[in-house]
Amino acid sequence: MNKVLFSCEGLTMKFGGLTALNRLDLGIDEGDILGLVGPNGSGKTTFFNVVTGIYRPTEGRVFFDGKDITGASSQTVFEAGIARTFQRSRLCLELSIFDNIMIGNFKRHDLGFVSNIFRRKTFQKTCEEEVEKAIELIRLLNPELVGSIHKPVADLSMIDRRRIEICRALIGKPKLLFLDEPSAGMTHDETNQLMDEILAMKSDERQLTIVLIEHEMGIIGKVTTRCAVLNFGEKLCDGTYQSIVENPLVQEAYLGREVTEDEV
Amino acid sequence: MPNSRDFLRCSALAALLFTYIGFLLGAEEELSIAAYLLCGAGVVIALVLFDVFSAIERLVQANETFWQVLMLAGTLALIAVFHQDHYTLFLIGTIFIYSVAVLGINVQLGYAGVINFSGASFFGIGGYTAAVFLQNTSIPGSLTLPLGGLFAAVIGSLLLLPVLRTSGHYSALVTMAFALLMKVFLEVSEWLGGPQGLSLPPLEFMGINFAEDIVIMGKECSFYVKYDMVCLALLVLAFVFVRRVERSWMGLAMDAVRIDETAAACFGVNVTRWKITAFTMGNFVIGMAGALYAMMLSYINPSNFTFSDSLLFLSILLLGGIGSIWGVIAATAFMVVIPEKFQVVQEYRYLIYSAMVLAMILFRPSGLLPRKPRSYAMGGRS
Amino acid sequence: MDISLLLQFFINGCMLGMMYALVAVGFTLFFGVLDVIVFSHGDSVMVGAFAGLTFYLLGVYAVPGLPVWASAFFVFLAGMAFVAGAGMLISRFVIMPLRAAPALNTLLATMMLGTVMREAVRLFFPDGSNPKPFPRLLPDWSWKFGDVLLRFDNLALFVAGCLLIVGVAMLINHTRLGMAIRAVAQDAEAAQIMGVNFPLIVLATFAIGSAVAAFAGLMNGLYYNEINFNLGLLLGAIGFSSAVIGGLGNVYGAILGGFVFAFLQVVGTVAMPFSSAYKDVFAFGVVIVLMAIFPTGILSERQSQRV
Repeated sequence: MNKVLFSCEGLTMKFGGLTALNRLDLGIDEGDILGLVGPNGSGKTTFFNVVTGIYRPTEGRVFFDGKDITGASSQTVFEAGIARTFQRSRLCLELSIFDNIMIGNFKRHDLGFVSNIFRRKTFQKTCEEEVEKAIELIRLLNPELVGSIHKPVADLSMIDRRRIEICRALIGKPKLLFLDEPSAGMTHDETNQLMDEILAMKSDERQLTIVLIEHEMGIIGKVTTRCAVLNFGEKLCDGTYQSIVENPLVQEAYLGREVTEDEV
Repeated sequence: MPNSRDFLRCSALAALLFTYIGFLLGAEEELSIAAYLLCGAGVVIALVLFDVFSAIERLVQANETFWQVLMLAGTLALIAVFHQDHYTLFLIGTIFIYSVAVLGINVQLGYAGVINFSGASFFGIGGYTAAVFLQNTSIPGSLTLPLGGLFAAVIGSLLLLPVLRTSGHYSALVTMAFALLMKVFLEVSEWLGGPQGLSLPPLEFMGINFAEDIVIMGKECSFYVKYDMVCLALLVLAFVFVRRVERSWMGLAMDAVRIDETAAACFGVNVTRWKITAFTMGNFVIGMAGALYAMMLSYINPSNFTFSDSLLFLSILLLGGIGSIWGVIAATAFMVVIPEKFQVVQEYRYLIYSAMVLAMILFRPSGLLPRKPRSYAMGGRS
Repeated sequence: MDISLLLQFFINGCMLGMMYALVAVGFTLFFGVLDVIVFSHGDSVMVGAFAGLTFYLLGVYAVPGLPVWASAFFVFLAGMAFVAGAGMLISRFVIMPLRAAPALNTLLATMMLGTVMREAVRLFFPDGSNPKPFPRLLPDWSWKFGDVLLRFDNLALFVAGCLLIVGVAMLINHTRLGMAIRAVAQDAEAAQIMGVNFPLIVLATFAIGSAVAAFAGLMNGLYYNEINFNLGLLLGAIGFSSAVIGGLGNVYGAILGGFVFAFLQVVGTVAMPFSSAYKDVFAFGVVIVLMAIFPTGILSERQSQRV
């Protein structure tokens, strides 16, 4: 039995009259890949935003790695070991690939005045080491990008941008990785390719836990070890891919309910 | 050290550039100034059209240190050429000081994205600090520079809370309100001389009196040579400092904050810390520049530090290219020299300035010399 | 302090507040439809005053002996129409091209535009760098209540300003055009999909906002009996402050903000009688403090951010 890495209890988020998340209970074991599915507006991204400190939850508690991180700031959540990507790519387009990846690495950087401004020799050395590390990581996803590591991200294609976003999330060695619909805006083939890369990466890093938001059920079935289905901010069910696909509640949420005779 | 071909190319370029600047600064008739300007503009357009400009940029980037040495040497040569010409030397000093001030704004807006519409106010705080200390105490002139910076930074920290809590247009308003408030305050406060302002005793440090002409190597030199040297030293310091900030994790953190606060926070960047750092550092730099400016003018009043001057700082930054250090210096030189040289347009200068910047924002928003992607190495990339 | 002096301050405050509210309404309207701050709006106010003056002189020259009422009507109408046209040109050639640009660029561009307008008036209006006397367009009747002097022209201007504000509010809340403006303000994209002619709505909004600004400029001229090329800078800053205090995008907030700012100035004058110049220091200082307490204005702007 794996240890529970992340859990939330009764997590609720209300925007005025709209309840985006309603008493959500969820537990994630270490090493899992959890697929988070649900129709548009069912609260998947809100869940990420509440956990990563962009919104403060209205009610409920969030625990991570034995600590209570309810309502913690984005910074604290990241330092505790949760990294994420965004649904709409939020890279710094005018900055280079290396810069973007380094943004995910501030935890390990010395941001002090003296070491950055005065000890330039030492700074230069750490910088070169960091370039090596970044290259290593990029090579896992797309070796072709290594050559243009100092070029602006704005020149890259969508799939390469996603890759850089994943690199940025991974370089800080998080324990839990939130991937918010990494396939948005990509073709079917590109999505499959990216998922294979994610799986390959995961096999290197067994301890890494991933939560993946994804619309395409085929991908969910292929990649995830467990799934949770949200609808109108509530959890319909969770379990293995097979169990949720067969669950009539899920079918209803996605396909609509069959009209019974007495309603007619 | 560059290879011999690059060495020659860079030297020739720098020689051409400074010869041109020298002729422009030395020209006195408006017709010849106009001719020089047209020539310059024509050459630049031709260089851009025939794609030589980007080649030059690459050359300069590859031999960064050498190019910086050349620029310094060229500037010293200019000062030597105009060693007796008070007016031109004063212009050169003004360019240096304004460049330093705009570099301060650049740290705030160009890196961390903190909008500051009260640049001239902090410039003025530095100036008034220098004036008050030099008038009333026996603090040596050299110390009033950091004191000016310190006061600007400390008074600026009063604005930190509203600036940090607001964003976008709202924080623009906060600094704008501060600029207007400062201007009125300086005008009505009798303690600071009201609309008449304050005069500063001649600067004296390390036994050198800055109000007297000097003799260097048997040549009579204007006393402004001394001021220019101090201004140049401050510019070099500011240049190195801002460069190092840019090419460090600090600069990267500020960039992250500017471009996307929310994403930056999700990667553990302490948004508040970097905004405070940038705002305070920037104000310190602006304040130092202001203190030196007051000393060089030896007389300051509120009309040196109006909201229009704050706008001028921002315009220079936009014209040069936000975040681009060389762009800032080039744009400052342009904005300071042209109206002073062109007496005909003197009257029309604000009109021309603003029309130019407006056109720039509409048609080339990245500025004259746009910022390059960051390289962390100092001295140039191979 | 005696009551009549307070009343006098109150009357002055109302006049100033009305002027500021009229300027602030423009800021808030433009921000509503386009999410931009048009800082040259203060200078539109100034241009309105100068245009009014020009039309007055032209009118006197062309039709001598025009009755006072007619000339006042003509000056207001022509001045407002002129500035409305200028506003449309500004929106078409400066604001719209910068829609995709960062907010700072628009702010700076409009500041530069404001400087262009200011300098153009200073340089090209005959003897433009000196203050110009503004004609008295309204009869100078006044009533005295004890020590309090109530001037007819002030009362008329105040009432006209109220009517104008009510008119704008009616226009926005109860007409098809107003509905389109509100739709664009909420979601420009969705409004376009639903068949709203976006560029036209922007033009209309700028025409309305600028005409209101011209009214404020004329009111300024009549109130102080003098105009100068520089009046737009401070009025622009005050109008912007008022719009921000009220919460950008909120018309009622802008009106509230205008009166709050005027109130602050009056309080500053009363509290610091030794120098009335401190009233602006005080008012802007309070604005900064207010911003620290209410970072998005008193009547807060609706905030939504999609992550």
